[in-house]
Amino acid sequence: MTSLSGALAAATITPPHIEYGQLSPLLVVFGAAVAGVLVEAFVPRERRRAFHLVIALGGLVAAFALIISVAATPSLFAHGSPGHVVAMGAVGVDGPTLFIQGTIVVLAFVSVLLIAESSHGVSPFAAQAAAVPGSAEEREGLLRGISHTEVYPLTLFAVGGMMLFPAANDLLTMFVALEVLSLPLYLLCGLARRRRLISQEAAMKYFLLGAFSSAFFLFGVAMLYGYSGSVSLSAIAAAAATNVSSATLLYAGIALVGIGLLFKIGAVPFQSWKPDVYQGAPTAVTALMASCTVVSAFGGLLRVFYVAFGQLTWDWRPAMWGVAILTMLAGAIIAITQTDVKRMLAYSSIAHGGFVLTAVVAATAAGLSASLFYLAVYGLTTIGAFAVVTLVRDPAGEANHLSKWAGLGKRSPWLAGVFAFFLLAFAGIPLTSGFAGKFAVFQAAAAGGALPLVIIGVLASAVAAFFYVRVIVLMFFSDPAPDGPTVVTPGLFTGAAVAVGAAATLVFGIAPEPLLALASHAAAHLFVR
Amino acid sequence: MTGTLAGLPMRAASALPTLAAVGVQRTAWLMLVFPLAGALVLLLGGRRTNRFGHVVGVAMPFASFVVAVITFVAMLGYPASQRARDVHMFTWISVGGFHVDAGLLVDQLSISFALLITGVGSLIHLFAVGYMSHDPDRRRFFGYMNLFVAAMLLLVLADNYLLMYAGWEGVGLASYLLIGFWQYKPSAAAAAKKAFVVNRVGVAGFSVAIMLMFATFGTVTYTGVFGQASSAGRGTATALGLLLLLGACAKSAQVPLQSWLLDAMEGPTPVSALIHAATMVTAGVYLIVRSAPIFNLSMTARLAVTVVGAVTLLFGAIIGCAKDDIKKALAGSTMSQIGYMVLAAGLGPAGYVFAIAHLIVHGFFKAGLFLGAGAVKHEMNDEVDMRRFGGLRVVMPITAATFTIGWLAIIGVWPFSGFFTKDPIIAAAFAKGGISGALLGSAAMIGAGITAFYMTRVLLMTFTGHRRWEPDAHPHEVPPVMTSPMIVLAIGAAGAGAFLMLGNRFVDFLSPVTGAPPASRGLITPVSGATLALVVLGAVIAWAMYGRREIPVTAPAARFPVVAARKDLYGDAVNEAVFMRPGQWLTRLSVYFDNRGVDGLVNTLAATVGGSSGRLRRVQTGFVRSYALSMLVGAVLLVGVLLLVRI
Amino acid sequence: MNAAHVLAASTVGAGAVVAFWILAVISVAAALGLVLAPRAVHGAVLLAVVMLSLAVLYGVAGAPFLAFVQIIVYTGAVLMLFLFVLMIVGVSAADSMRETIRGQRLAAGLAGIGLLVLLALVVGHAAIGPAAPAGSNYGVLNVQRLAQLIFTRYVFPFELTSALLITAALGAMVLAHRERTSPKPSQRDLARQRVRGDHPAPLPGPGVYARGDAADMPALLPDGTPSPLSLNPVMARRRGSAIRVPGPGVPAPLPPGEPGKDGGPDAEPDREGAHP
Repeated sequence: MTSLSGALAAATITPPHIEYGQLSPLLVVFGAAVAGVLVEAFVPRERRRAFHLVIALGGLVAAFALIISVAATPSLFAHGSPGHVVAMGAVGVDGPTLFIQGTIVVLAFVSVLLIAESSHGVSPFAAQAAAVPGSAEEREGLLRGISHTEVYPLTLFAVGGMMLFPAANDLLTMFVALEVLSLPLYLLCGLARRRRLISQEAAMKYFLLGAFSSAFFLFGVAMLYGYSGSVSLSAIAAAAATNVSSATLLYAGIALVGIGLLFKIGAVPFQSWKPDVYQGAPTAVTALMASCTVVSAFGGLLRVFYVAFGQLTWDWRPAMWGVAILTMLAGAIIAITQTDVKRMLAYSSIAHGGFVLTAVVAATAAGLSASLFYLAVYGLTTIGAFAVVTLVRDPAGEANHLSKWAGLGKRSPWLAGVFAFFLLAFAGIPLTSGFAGKFAVFQAAAAGGALPLVIIGVLASAVAAFFYVRVIVLMFFSDPAPDGPTVVTPGLFTGAAVAVGAAATLVFGIAPEPLLALASHAAAHLFVR
Repeated sequence: MTGTLAGLPMRAASALPTLAAVGVQRTAWLMLVFPLAGALVLLLGGRRTNRFGHVVGVAMPFASFVVAVITFVAMLGYPASQRARDVHMFTWISVGGFHVDAGLLVDQLSISFALLITGVGSLIHLFAVGYMSHDPDRRRFFGYMNLFVAAMLLLVLADNYLLMYAGWEGVGLASYLLIGFWQYKPSAAAAAKKAFVVNRVGVAGFSVAIMLMFATFGTVTYTGVFGQASSAGRGTATALGLLLLLGACAKSAQVPLQSWLLDAMEGPTPVSALIHAATMVTAGVYLIVRSAPIFNLSMTARLAVTVVGAVTLLFGAIIGCAKDDIKKALAGSTMSQIGYMVLAAGLGPAGYVFAIAHLIVHGFFKAGLFLGAGAVKHEMNDEVDMRRFGGLRVVMPITAATFTIGWLAIIGVWPFSGFFTKDPIIAAAFAKGGISGALLGSAAMIGAGITAFYMTRVLLMTFTGHRRWEPDAHPHEVPPVMTSPMIVLAIGAAGAGAFLMLGNRFVDFLSPVTGAPPASRGLITPVSGATLALVVLGAVIAWAMYGRREIPVTAPAARFPVVAARKDLYGDAVNEAVFMRPGQWLTRLSVYFDNRGVDGLVNTLAATVGGSSGRLRRVQTGFVRSYALSMLVGAVLLVGVLLLVRI
Repeated sequence: MNAAHVLAASTVGAGAVVAFWILAVISVAAALGLVLAPRAVHGAVLLAVVMLSLAVLYGVAGAPFLAFVQIIVYTGAVLMLFLFVLMIVGVSAADSMRETIRGQRLAAGLAGIGLLVLLALVVGHAAIGPAAPAGSNYGVLNVQRLAQLIFTRYVFPFELTSALLITAALGAMVLAHRERTSPKPSQRDLARQRVRGDHPAPLPGPGVYARGDAADMPALLPDGTPSPLSLNPVMARRRGSAIRVPGPGVPAPLPPGEPGKDGGPDAEPDREGAHP
């Protein structure tokens, strides 16, 4: 090709073809986020919350409807095709992705309910993030009862990034999505109304470590590009199938990209941010991170490891085994000695990430569908649990220290009962969704030849059950502390979040079949390449 | 074990066709629904249901019992080979190629259990109406009890291991809730926690077994697993058997996972009667018998089962001798009796039927004994120390009479129930042959003697002798709502054994599921004679030690005057030297090991996990740069591992 | 086969190779200096060196667009912002370099070297063939080609970065902008306040009579003692700044902040792993 013809070609580029219909769920969420920014600019403060609520909840509902309509499009899966690659190869639209996106949108909807809760005077977010903690300006803002309403567009941006992350069909898009989902979360973490220092510390830590992990991810992308000459997942897979000459680049790339993905999941040894950040962030944001972010990160991990490294299962499996074992054991064991309920739930979330990793290791359609199911039901349960955490308060804000939860079952048996139910679901007791999920992933792992992993998983869940029941015993069998926290009556939104979590935990425990069928249907053809 | 015996069960158990239920049996799921609905109404209904809560609580298990009887009668209408019927409810879990239906298997084994659970359960619920009448939380109590009945029925009626597991966890949950029912007692809370933790070990074994089944057979239904069991190989069968045994040990309080049961006596007495004597703790036996086709394949697993059973039956019996708390003495006895059942189940087809038969009659007499103990406790201001009892037979005649019948049944005096079900187990153990058979048989026989000793002791210390009551105790006979269940159970304790075992009625009924034992060799064999002699010996020693010293003439003494007199010749000195001292030493030792050894093991395990948790926790310094360092180290490891794989 | 060698050899020739080796040494040294320099302003300058070296490398490799973006955006805009902030905070502010976690430096050094060795092995083992001929994607058509990619194949991620930018802008607003909650004091209010206060005259500015005139350098009073009034209270509270003794023999003006506590403010007494 001569330079002249090249110049001509460059001068007359064909416009890109964008499938707006199939991208519409994403576009709606981002559109709602931008609309939220405009609300911030033009709507008076006292009416912003109402506008934001309509936009955010409406946007999420619309996105969910669009996801369903895309999934119902017969042409998408015609002739046994797993799906389409759209937006010039940047985005894959296939069964698992749509399932994950649907899950994220539902979880985000419930999280937004928690974020919007303001029935007890004020929202959970800072009045003036720019005011120095403890300063007169902060006090003034608190007294006026204002709070940052920017959290709504920020949440929507994060949700958009989360939806794109598992759909990204090349590593460049995936990286952008990773940043789009992370940046708003860093900000949201630092916006707690109470205990702002620890909240800002959490944001700082999350930001620094997140940047660190992003650097690893990017380095890995560079390695893979050096190996295959492309950042597209399918091109990397194709190169891995043929080109064996400089495979060390490939393996280093797998490891480094894997670090970036495992960091977001909170897998050991990249878990250290999780307890601090979950503890410091406003609880509503913690709920968002513990549900939506984990789902999204697993979606991305599954796509990269199933599509790009799908033929190399035997090569990455040992490392993934190690990570899964460490994650399950460390999460379950360290959780035992936690004294803060949010930290405990953070370690529990780490352990649950390990349980899902056992199914990822299987690298089969069954493993994929089991992971999808687990993520969906775990997300709903975990939002419910964090919603309960927001309700146990003392004059200084939320009473997160476990000693303050002693005897809660006597003062508010309903709330403690629901929380105990969530904990039992985390422990995987039958007739809760946690059991069905755990069974699904362990079953997939066992079928995939990872029986030792399953045994360790079962042992880890036995250990984990210990600290869940410790909290239950504390709530029901201990005497209430005299200066114990009060349980506020849940407002409409928090009540709805708790109810959704509890109902989902119960329904998917008794009759998991419809959701399992949906997950296995979605995962039947794996990811589009 | 002879070849013919080994060959029998596999054909019998695995080749049984399971037909879809028709007619009235299709409503068998109502058995589950009634108590579940009761639990929901009582637990969710709140204080509104306080007024009529106990009525609902009693009515629901009774309704289940009616359904069970109807189902049972319908079953009797079918020929023996077509009695196993499957009631499909709905598709529960379907993952990939894996499919589990929520279905009920109504066969001879499960209906026996269902009748026991609902029948004895209804009686105990009735008793509890009186027993809990002063408790402000009686409604909640009945809610938990109904929940338990539903879960227990799910456990025994499930047609696959996964659903059984659901019931297994459900009964565990109900059990923890009920052990800790009186939360204001710290000991109750601690006991509930201990039961939970110990059961985690068992549940881990059970769930790994289920995963292993799935990995090997691709299914977890009974028919699917048993149909392919013989193709799996001996190693798999052994592994499955040992894992299931681990589950059974925890649930049935068998050594080495027995420690929770004694503490579980912190719960209200009806709970002890229903859950920790009659039904839930026998779930381990059910699991083993249900999994007969797996155990039949592995001598090793069966041997482990028999050893566990034999050790536990002695262990429990010795503990029973050492406890002054009447409920704990009975709990030790429960461990011991379940040890008999496990021993029998470990003997394979020669013992399965006897295990279940003993289980059923044990349900009657042990529930009766516990209710008797509960009645005494109720009247003695919640005192459970037998040293504060004495002479109660005068003021509580009905309780004393029913307790006596239970006592006769448990020590196995002809013609009471225990005789008909315990002796075949001892005989079957001897019939196993070889050194192991002799050892197991002797253990079982000695256990029978010790049982007689400690049960006589309980009886004498409670109902005879001087009144050693607390000054403010004014016991009277309990109201009819409490005596009537005890009377019914006493009738069962007296007659059930003879009814089931005479004429091989139960053996013929159950053998299509479990395989038939060899034909019995008459009622009185040398083994049963020797056992009876030991039983008498034990009872007399107890009388000598606890009855004679205070009240010279008692009813049991009159019953065996000759033996007693002859025994008396040896005198107290011999008693003391030969039996009492070593006995006390032995009991002390066993209690020591119970506290230090086994508990110690659990505690050490917990301490190790907790300690490593504390150490690992210190890695979380709070400094972001140390987090970054841990990530960096992780990155080095991950890159290294992936490259190593390549090299 | 050395990757760098391949990279260099595949471009225009000997001049590029020489440029590579010189710039590689400079940029790595500057990057090390950036990490090790205790003063933020030195770090910023060294960062500029790194970025400029990279820009030249891009240019030599035939990617002029990238080279210019590197200079305009990073060196020109981003770094200037860094420097503005540093000037406001105090140009000579230095972080405490004392390490308080035992074994941290050693472990970090070992892990870093380990990763370096592993990656060197990776790159060393990789058989990187001759790069694609320096065809139309490089050199004069580089900009067009990039444009083509950005607006066709990668148009979606490119547009997506707008979300990132909006988030960043929103975040900056949230974190830095404090909305006024009380009416703005008028000229009259301010005058009244000043007259009623202790200091009717203007406060001394920072750096008066002192050795430097940075924003964090307190002014010296006639007797040589530093005046705390001359500093912005926020800056005076900042740890590490304004501790420096303005002249010899003069006592330190302000109580030193707590040193070596950069793990972030730790408000929770019950946190794991108390600070050593």
